[in-house]
Amino acid sequence: MSRAGRKSDKSPAVAASRHGVALGLALAIVLDTAGQMLWKRAAVGLPESLSPAVLLGAVLHDPLPLAVLGVFALQLVNWLLVLERAELSYAQPITSLSYVTVVAMSVWLLGERLDPVRLIGVTLVLLGVGLIGVDAIRRARTP
Amino acid sequence: MNSIWLGTLLAIACAGVEGVAQMALKQSSRRPRRRSRWIALGVALFAVEAVLYTAALQRLDVSVAYALGALSYVSVALLSAMVLRESVSVLRRLGIVCIVAGCSLLALHG
Repeated sequence: MSRAGRKSDKSPAVAASRHGVALGLALAIVLDTAGQMLWKRAAVGLPESLSPAVLLGAVLHDPLPLAVLGVFALQLVNWLLVLERAELSYAQPITSLSYVTVVAMSVWLLGERLDPVRLIGVTLVLLGVGLIGVDAIRRARTP
Repeated sequence: MNSIWLGTLLAIACAGVEGVAQMALKQSSRRPRRRSRWIALGVALFAVEAVLYTAALQRLDVSVAYALGALSYVSVALLSAMVLRESVSVLRRLGIVCIVAGCSLLALHG
């Protein structure tokens, strides 16, 4: 690494930006997980209909779906801030950690069952998403 | 139809719709003259996906529904290979095989 590179690595602005990215990615995982938990709770309270009119009517009378929308709006803003400072191909794979947190929180908060077959299924999915993430990083490195 | 099976089908349909939506957004950057139409189509498909996912969550545990959502990686890869003629690397194929295996296990086990 060049001397100029080392120097800029130590500058407060770069350090702050790196902390910003780490914080942004952590927040992305938290918001993703919270969004899924709230969405599940909201879905259970809504009528079982695929009609947009029925769903929209129900949403207007229930604060939970609005909370879901709020979380996803925050998620969008946070994600755009992360992408200002980090490459998508690096940022995206890290957020696949939410596959772990969603399962953990659904067991802990919603009391969902996690038997061995489910654990193997989710682990395979996580492995697959991880491999695709590694592929994306490798592709970004080779121009 | 069994409610869990319907939920599973709805979650799989979500992944398909997501793939088409991503394709529409990609097309918006490739075809500047019809940009807004492709973006509108993408956003409309995301709204459809939200309704389908809500219906899926009414029938499935969120831990299963969310994991099945990873099938969108498969639909995106298939569509980019077929429509956009992008190449799919060996590593990505391996990832897709793992996702399909994991989702099949979750879908069949319930």
